[in-house]
Amino acid sequence: MGWVTAAGAARGRQARGFAMPVGPLPKLTRQMVFDEPDARFGRLDAFSRLGLVAAALALQDAGLAGPVVRRPFGVVASTVRGCAATDVAYLETLVPAPGAMPSPNLFAYTLPNCFLGEVALRFGLTGPAYVLNEQGPRVAALRLALSALDSGDVQVMLAGVCDVPAPSPWGDAAGVLPGAVFVVLDRRDSADPAPWGEIGVGEGGAVRYGGSVVTGVPGLVEACLAGGPRPPTAVSA
Amino acid sequence: MTSEPGQPASGAGAGRPVVVTDVAVVTALGDTLAATWQALLGGQTGIRPLARFPTDRYAARVAACVDRLPVPVGGGSRLWPLLERLLAGLGPLPADTRLFAATTKGAIDALENWRLGRPFDPADLEPGRVLDWLRSRLGLCDDGLNVNAACASSTVAVSLAAAEIAAGRAEVAVVCAADLVSEFVFSGFSALQALSPVPCRPFDRARAGLSLGEGAAALVLMGAGRARHDGRPPIATVAGWGVADDATHVTAPARDGCGLIQATQLALARAGLGPADIAAISAHGTGTVYNDLMELTAFRRVFGGVVPPMHSVKGALGHTLGAAGAIETALGLVALREQTAPPTVGLREPEAGAEGLVSSRPQRFSGRYLLTSNSGFGGINAAVVLGPPPGPTVEAR
Repeated sequence: MGWVTAAGAARGRQARGFAMPVGPLPKLTRQMVFDEPDARFGRLDAFSRLGLVAAALALQDAGLAGPVVRRPFGVVASTVRGCAATDVAYLETLVPAPGAMPSPNLFAYTLPNCFLGEVALRFGLTGPAYVLNEQGPRVAALRLALSALDSGDVQVMLAGVCDVPAPSPWGDAAGVLPGAVFVVLDRRDSADPAPWGEIGVGEGGAVRYGGSVVTGVPGLVEACLAGGPRPPTAVSA
Repeated sequence: MTSEPGQPASGAGAGRPVVVTDVAVVTALGDTLAATWQALLGGQTGIRPLARFPTDRYAARVAACVDRLPVPVGGGSRLWPLLERLLAGLGPLPADTRLFAATTKGAIDALENWRLGRPFDPADLEPGRVLDWLRSRLGLCDDGLNVNAACASSTVAVSLAAAEIAAGRAEVAVVCAADLVSEFVFSGFSALQALSPVPCRPFDRARAGLSLGEGAAALVLMGAGRARHDGRPPIATVAGWGVADDATHVTAPARDGCGLIQATQLALARAGLGPADIAAISAHGTGTVYNDLMELTAFRRVFGGVVPPMHSVKGALGHTLGAAGAIETALGLVALREQTAPPTVGLREPEAGAEGLVSSRPQRFSGRYLLTSNSGFGGINAAVVLGPPPGPTVEAR
């Protein structure tokens, strides 16, 4: 598990607790997740940088962020406003002199799935990588990640949420807290380090962890931390 | 059914059969699938001089816009009349239909209007507006989700919907895909130097980039048993699907086509087919130098020396972004039924290695399965195999 919230950035096995309060997000630097210089990192928009750091922390927590090897791992992220802030920033390069100086670098990140491409190329993830905009309880990323694992197409799936504070003209969406939280779902029997616990889809399509219904990725992280790592089982979070 | 890690459960037994029971399309060539197909078959293009916004500072002056798409009173987005026109061609849906939308930029014209001080509807900016609108218009209970996978969005949406049905987690799903021609997107591709100054020429030696287009498509997927129970004749089977990432670059395709190869192989395996079973390919074929070369590389690798006839519709319809996959799947259904690949409009002299594969004329083919694929920013690739409707041995619901 890995996250960036207004309470800070952390990996599950090094964290003392998890909180996702309202408030400004911390400044994110390359050194938080990458030892080597990364020329692209500094050019990323805020949404992409947030999602990349949280996903990287989750992979590090799972012991899967080592030397890049192409592997059938995928990633699904849920977002409410996606890269809206980047859209506004891009428009600012377009409007002052109509058509004169639109920024190609910013435009590349006006698709909310592009940060998953950044995760994929840095960590060799060749599985599906897409973003969901959803309403209501935000469990679709978890549910679809579990479905992908069931299909046999992939061995590991990251599932997460990613939201930056909304710029004008939007207000912050009700119930949407700024931050990014990712979990690593691993189907392999040889999962190492010891997994947090077992997650699956129960009756009626509800995602369940430790016998309880999961209401979202942040709630899953809280449940994992409350229970601590467990002995290896067939599917781990 | 067991499977090797990284390989799908394959063929019969990989889940319940998934069929397409209804389809609707709106493009620059027509407001129906039939009209679009007929115009496409006749070699027409909807890529025309663009009047919607000034283009004198951009690298291109053309795009494929849907004819007479009005701006709603009060400055609402053009997305709603586009979707309204689309859904006029779709039959009623069961209330338990799962909703998969696929739009990359949604009502982006509303954001443009806000920034330029023009009238706009603030509700159009709400991220859930597309889902709310579709849910209300279609009378659905499902909250729905919008799939954002760049230019592969609707192909990924079809894959997700089919997977849910095959696994028994859903019985009916509708994929609704749409994207507009907007100055936001047009300027961006111009800045990336990806726009062709003339109507695009997929797989042509002299191709110089893509042409943007707008359009929408809706596909209704059902479990075959549910379709029979509800009396909805299947049009075709969604026999296989696969999604994979290049993990190479964020805006350029992997030159070796690794992600498209993987997605295609996953789709074939899931369908229980070999390369020789594919009778035709609906390629992504954007008209950019690198994309088209990547696809030729990937398909040569998958199909060996016997690549089936390929076509791209983007020279006729433009690149419709998130809607491309669903529009091309819909046209693929017709191609399969007619056993005819539409012409690759804009093609004059095929790229080296594409001779005999793509044609500026319709190509007859003989076979039961068609592969359709799309690729996009983020390195995403998605492939779907379409096949004939199931025979009478499908289990009763």
